[in-house]
Amino acid sequence: MRLTATVNGRARTFEVEARSTLLEVIRESLLLTGAKEACGVGECGNCMVLLDGEPTPSCLVLAPDAEGREIVTVEGLAPEGALDEVQAAFLEAGAFQCGFCTPGMVITAGALLRDQPNAAAGEIKQALAGVLCRCGSYTKVMKAMEKLAGRGA
Amino acid sequence: MTTTVGRSVTRIDGRDKVTGAAVFGVDLAVAGMLHGAVVRSPHPHARIVSIDPAAAAAAPGVEVIVTGADFPYLFGSATRDQPFLAIDRVRYVGEPVVAIAARTEAEAQEAADLVVVEYEELPAVCDMRDALAEDAPLVHPDMHTYVKGAHVIVPHTNINTLWTFERGDVEAGFAGADLIVEDEFTAHALSHAALEPHVSIAAYDPVNRAYTLWLPTDRPFQVRGELTAALGIPSDKVRLIVTSVGGSFGGKNTLISEAISVALARFAGGRPVRVEFTRQEDLTATSTRVPAIMKLRTGVTRDGSITARSAEALWDSGAYTSNTVGVAIRGSSTIFGPYRTPHLSLVVRQVYTNRATTGSYRGYGTTQVTWACESQMDMIAAALGLDPLAFRLRNGYEEGDPYINEQIMHGVGLRESLERTAAEIGWGEVDRAPAPHLRRGKGIATMLKPTATPTSSNAVIKVEEDGRVTVLVAAPEIGAGQSTVLAQIAADAIGVPIEAVVVPGTDTAYTPYNGPVASSRTTFHVGNAIVMAGAEIREKILAAAADILDRDAGRLDLVDGRIVEDGVPIKPLSELFGGLAYGDGYSITAEARYSSKGSPLLKAAAPYEWMSSIFWMFATHAAEIEVDIETGAVRVVKVAAAGDVGRAINPMACEQQIEGGVVMGISNALFEEFKGSGGRIDNGSFADYKLAALPDIPEIVAIIVESQHAEAPFGAKGIGEPAAAATPPAIANALFDAVGIRILDLPITPEKVLRAIAEKASAEGAG
Amino acid sequence: MKRLREFSYHEPESLEAAIGILAAGGDGARLLAGGTDLVVDMKTGRMRPSIVVNLKRIPGLSGIEAVEGGIRIGALTPVATLQASPLVGQMAAALADAAAVLATPPVRGLATIGGNIGRASPASDLGPPLIVHEAIATIEGPDGSREETVESLYVGPGATTLAVHDIITSIFVPTPAAGFGSAHLKIGARAGGTDIAMVGVSAGVTLGADGRIAAARIVLASVAPTPLRAIAAEQALAGREPSEEAVAAAAAAAAAACRPISDLRASASHRVALAGVLTARVLRSAIARAREASR
Repeated sequence: MRLTATVNGRARTFEVEARSTLLEVIRESLLLTGAKEACGVGECGNCMVLLDGEPTPSCLVLAPDAEGREIVTVEGLAPEGALDEVQAAFLEAGAFQCGFCTPGMVITAGALLRDQPNAAAGEIKQALAGVLCRCGSYTKVMKAMEKLAGRGA
Repeated sequence: MTTTVGRSVTRIDGRDKVTGAAVFGVDLAVAGMLHGAVVRSPHPHARIVSIDPAAAAAAPGVEVIVTGADFPYLFGSATRDQPFLAIDRVRYVGEPVVAIAARTEAEAQEAADLVVVEYEELPAVCDMRDALAEDAPLVHPDMHTYVKGAHVIVPHTNINTLWTFERGDVEAGFAGADLIVEDEFTAHALSHAALEPHVSIAAYDPVNRAYTLWLPTDRPFQVRGELTAALGIPSDKVRLIVTSVGGSFGGKNTLISEAISVALARFAGGRPVRVEFTRQEDLTATSTRVPAIMKLRTGVTRDGSITARSAEALWDSGAYTSNTVGVAIRGSSTIFGPYRTPHLSLVVRQVYTNRATTGSYRGYGTTQVTWACESQMDMIAAALGLDPLAFRLRNGYEEGDPYINEQIMHGVGLRESLERTAAEIGWGEVDRAPAPHLRRGKGIATMLKPTATPTSSNAVIKVEEDGRVTVLVAAPEIGAGQSTVLAQIAADAIGVPIEAVVVPGTDTAYTPYNGPVASSRTTFHVGNAIVMAGAEIREKILAAAADILDRDAGRLDLVDGRIVEDGVPIKPLSELFGGLAYGDGYSITAEARYSSKGSPLLKAAAPYEWMSSIFWMFATHAAEIEVDIETGAVRVVKVAAAGDVGRAINPMACEQQIEGGVVMGISNALFEEFKGSGGRIDNGSFADYKLAALPDIPEIVAIIVESQHAEAPFGAKGIGEPAAAATPPAIANALFDAVGIRILDLPITPEKVLRAIAEKASAEGAG
Repeated sequence: MKRLREFSYHEPESLEAAIGILAAGGDGARLLAGGTDLVVDMKTGRMRPSIVVNLKRIPGLSGIEAVEGGIRIGALTPVATLQASPLVGQMAAALADAAAVLATPPVRGLATIGGNIGRASPASDLGPPLIVHEAIATIEGPDGSREETVESLYVGPGATTLAVHDIITSIFVPTPAAGFGSAHLKIGARAGGTDIAMVGVSAGVTLGADGRIAAARIVLASVAPTPLRAIAAEQALAGREPSEEAVAAAAAAAAAACRPISDLRASASHRVALAGVLTARVLRSAIARAREASR
């Protein structure tokens, strides 16, 4: 079936199977490999994309449900060669190690700060509870987030 | 002069990681590739009676079907005991039996369901204690016929590793003790749970009969060596191109998905085959931490000096030995901890069982033995009425102390790590009951870790015509910041800014040999090779500069990327070669090899020099926890964690390792556990194999201890491996401090805590 | 990665059309709402539907509105919307509590209230508070529309009284009586409270004008094949002062009523222990809220 959606600001139309997940479409049809699959069941958040602005585990969404909607992946957060504020803060704070979960972390963090620019520590932990990081970059993620939320150095 | 060593420079791989541009193993697509799927054993132990692939072969998109009979090779780094695909019998639930390659992954997975395998079930042994029984079913009746290394096996049993060690007179030591304490501890299996699952792409070039693999791995040369040894082919017939690695933790260093992709590629007519394991496969049928049961007997004097220790450690390799032989031996050897122990004895046995294969896991056996040693240290302190910190300080190694093989230890930051973590956690002060149902306590634990010794590393450094410096080393970036730290070392060794240095990914076709990116050895060993090659390249650059600029080489220097004459900059390196005539140029390269072999630092009592380590790492963690005495839930409030890194090349990267290690330790101690019975794992999903998430993470204060090391690049030792081991016993010791209970078998679940609290209450009621 | 098997996919734009597809499809048909259960079950192979009927193109199935005597929640309303809704917070505090701990925030954006009921997990987070609040489901089938209490829908693990062609369209939550307060608590494996419940408990308490407990409702998750009404515990409270003794008696009765299994997440005995503790804690919260409401 045909799917039309806005992906990182561009209208795109492509052929999908109804059984494809949105994540498969993003990675394999659109060749945007920032979003990852680490669990496939909505537990790890590594596949997070913005769907109409909301962080969404794309491994749980069937492709047809993206029809007519706006998708933003980590690749669409900033123009080529640039970083958005969250990415820049993560880079500076070292809020990543292997980097596999980082796209999901950055996408989810950005949506939180858009809605709650001064989110408290507890709110940040809850909002990011669904993004797993095996390297344990959490402490540095909190450092980056505290700064973005207007606290700390 | 600008130097980068010692500064928290931004990681050079960071930009690609925050933008999602980094290419991991799962992200790569090679033109024309097929996709694999695996038919796995449903039984822990069975004879394969027949395999009928006809329906699968006829399914849409299927191109290749391979069984063990088609590709009948055995691999293994210590003992060559493992087939690519099961041959005649299966030895664990989830063992690969048939591999299928199809045009799409969906087609391969669907076809895999159509393969009919008939099994005859055999008696299985799924518990390591049972595996020792005289009448236990043998997992490998032919063990004595396998190609293997120097380790001792016991033929016609399940014991695939046997090692004993004794120093002093342990019975005399016990005779001199005022108190002898004996306990048994269990460390459980853990998934590496790297978020990037096992994945590889293999291609077989039928013209040259050579394989190319694209894969995330931390040991490219081990993987290549295992493959060439198994297939009986020379090294030029296997090329490995390493992608970004989405976490390894000791799990991505042998043939796992690679066994399948290689077997399929062999028959795919030149088409590459991609094999990615699902999370279910990754959790249940790849590799885990080696579970261990450890008996520890310790004699102490009344005032708290250790007189003797004897230990028996039993390890479970699962169905194949993989990397476990070294884990069992090397890991067990550190069960005495960082403590002066005049008399000691050790018996190590490792058995095969009909469980999924186990292997190296961050810490290489030290996470298991540290659990035993550090739990018991607190139990002894309690029995003697001593402060656990004071007891450790009393017995702990100091600079110049002999290790158990009489190697003289240098760069011993143990005391500082104990004292600083204790100060940070507020040792001795606790708000015991912040609420009626809550209790708080503090605990401390420490450990020591050797690095693989002797090992070697090579570096090739090239200076390009625009002054860029390429450092060729086989040190894949597994997430720990290797590439940044090595670039910093290169920059300072040569005299160029870090921005001029590039550390390309590993390609065994052109990167020189390196031992594994494991054992926290990379900074030290590869760093040393880079320092040596860097010094040479610096001289060659200055000679070339003297030639090109017509100056006296003796008056030139290279500072921060500029050629300097008598302290005055005269030419940027980036422009040095720019003015040459067409066709004229320089090839400035240098190579160096560092090996710890033969270092005078390794001297020890014969024949135990092999137990010496070129450097020793020390790590201490102190934890404050809070227990809900009604639910048994344990919350970690704060962890102060010190790592003795020798010298921090990049303090931020050291903090990352220390903080990440604590997170892993909390997760290991409180949440992670395989569930199931009869060799079957039932929780093959992150829905029920729980990793710590952000709400579980306490305040973590990373403390960097810099003991310096004479033979190290800029004094730096290592940090990644010892970072996780001390957290679980620190939590257990804090639990004892909080509520007076002792959990001896990991993990510390709410259920065990609640039961122990109830048992303690009823014992006290009865008493 | 695990791929989904092929199925016949439908996006009906009306309830009638959806019911028609379901009725024709028989046992192989499954409804797709948020997908957080169905897609997972299809990946793990627990379910292999031949027909998937996506409800999200049908207008009018999502949203929360105040209606006479209570609030009406569309079946496709995401859990995140429940969590954020002031109406739900006001009228059904236990439901809002439960919504705030159902999985992780992004999953709450997908998961729906109707899907949660239809999945009929014994560990359901929303079942217990809906039963405490005496919620009523509106169900559309081939023979028209009918209403059933949410409590009466549950039959066993994954099983409801609904036929394959039935679709839950909305949930009505009645305005609580004066002096009513409710709360929900659960315990999972980790600190974040986002894991599948080892035990969950919802309680609602109505305080009479005399300050005594006029009525109570207590429902537990993960301790029986369906959400479990702890009737004896409710009776232990009726007519009593809202004291610690009464709470303890109810907690003991709730624990005694549990019929849990041992599984991956907890043993039966641990669940019983937790059920008592959580019942006591949730009752204290419900009583405190009831006192607020009585003021």
